[in-house]
Amino acid sequence: MRGAFLLLSKELTELRRSPVLVLSMLSLPTAMVAVPLLLVAWLDRAAPPETLYWLREVYRIDLQGPGGLIGVLVAAVAKNWLPLFLVMPVFLPILMAAQSVGGERERRTLEPLLATPISTAEIVLGKSLAAVVPSLAVTWVAAALLCLGLDLIAAGRMGPVPMPDASWLFGCLLLCPLLALFGNALAVVVSCRVLDSRAAQNLAAMTVLPLLGLVVAQIMGRLALGTSFYLWFALGTAVSDGLLILLAVKWFDREALLTRWR
Amino acid sequence: MPAIDVRALSKSFAGRRAVEGLSFSVEAGECFGLLGPNGAGKTTTLRMLAGLFGPDQGSATVAGCGIRPREGASRELRRKVGLLTELPGFYDRLDANENLVHFGRLYGLSRTDARARSARFLERFLLAAHAHKPFAALSRGMKQKLAIARALLHEPEVVLLDEPTVGLDPEATREVRTVVGELRREGRTIVLCTHDLDEVERLCARAAFVATRLIAIHEVAAVQRGRVHVDLAAPSAGAAPALRNLPVVREVTQEGLRLHVELAALDGVPDVVAALVACGARVAAVQPVRDPLEEAYMAVLAEARGRGLLS
Repeated sequence: MRGAFLLLSKELTELRRSPVLVLSMLSLPTAMVAVPLLLVAWLDRAAPPETLYWLREVYRIDLQGPGGLIGVLVAAVAKNWLPLFLVMPVFLPILMAAQSVGGERERRTLEPLLATPISTAEIVLGKSLAAVVPSLAVTWVAAALLCLGLDLIAAGRMGPVPMPDASWLFGCLLLCPLLALFGNALAVVVSCRVLDSRAAQNLAAMTVLPLLGLVVAQIMGRLALGTSFYLWFALGTAVSDGLLILLAVKWFDREALLTRWR
Repeated sequence: MPAIDVRALSKSFAGRRAVEGLSFSVEAGECFGLLGPNGAGKTTTLRMLAGLFGPDQGSATVAGCGIRPREGASRELRRKVGLLTELPGFYDRLDANENLVHFGRLYGLSRTDARARSARFLERFLLAAHAHKPFAALSRGMKQKLAIARALLHEPEVVLLDEPTVGLDPEATREVRTVVGELRREGRTIVLCTHDLDEVERLCARAAFVATRLIAIHEVAAVQRGRVHVDLAAPSAGAAPALRNLPVVREVTQEGLRLHVELAALDGVPDVVAALVACGARVAAVQPVRDPLEEAYMAVLAEARGRGLLS
């Protein structure tokens, strides 16, 4: 597995030297953290009465629930924002992994790479780690900042540390790595078959659509994403990860990658 | 035992035959040319010999490693072969030294060894002053020399060079040819795949003409070594008979003021000049006969077209 870590090290060096890619990776997490924090802070401190009335009537939120207004707002973010947050560990690896094979081919580095004694499994693992490690790091930092921000806004008015609650701990510690692996493995599989890296990125990115559908259904009140849903979701993602990684190694066809042009 | 032994190698892509029944062998330490038009299967042949993918039929042995159909690419083979790809692909955001160290480590070198060899090759190829420039900032010739350095970092037994001077300006071409010449003098086994007949004449002892299949193997050096033109400044009746008496001379014919001399070896030229001077002939010039490689190449192309191997 030495080759995989050499690839990881090289990819991380390249990432550090690519401000555009780093910025594109940070834009989504910044929005994911800033939007709920600003919204909660505004609703808690400065929202006019008609806005709170609208929240109560349209979303049927009991603003006199446990913990008062801030308790209700933190609970709403904890419940509704988690599925949207989980889009991030799928999407970020896709940004990077879709470039993994197609990018090597476009830069003409694929043939010299394949001419070295590195194995197919090492290439797939190295490319996967290079997409998953930074994506997961960014996701976890974003989650930590969001939780810390909510805790600071609610400081002294709820329990000692309302966030992260159990669902966020489960989501961050288990679902985020599984989803990051899923996004990466899917992008590598697509990248092995679709040799244009931009097309691979677009195709792989379409996988976030079902997740967004779940989010919309939850916000519209059509679906309640509870404990059992997340457990089954984690299991399904883990199985999909295994299958996709096997498929990525199987479909990494050296001959086709060097000689096929579409 | 030859360093490369290719037997009836065949390869098709999507139903199109790229290489068909190709056989040749290359002795250890030989620089062997692979000539042919675009689409003749030269790069495919090199890729099979480098272990990038296997043949459909036939077999080959490269540096003692077997290549057979339906077998995975051999890691051992790839350790023993250095491949110069047609385009020098490197990572733009790494500098020249970092690129070499990265590939050296992928070839199994320790970090210390990879750094030491990178420094040595950068020095050797006059790239040391550019070691910390990003790859994208290097000139085309520098990039090509860096790619040759990459192919040599792990001290391969066999070096496969795919179009080493294509697209280079004359100065860079000369630099790259000098490097290849040095490799040949070091005794490395080299397969040189090129369109440049002059390059083959300068560097190779033998060359195979391929057009999907092997058409002919041409003894480049033998022809170059053996024939010279001697231009006389004035007619001399005794010149040709004087040369026929020399043991180094195989055959002499005269055409006006020009003598066509076939020698056992080019180092017999001083004896030829001395004999002509001794018989009173005035020598204006002695020139090795250019290898008629271009003529042979054109004849091979015509034959390949006649056999329907080329469009």
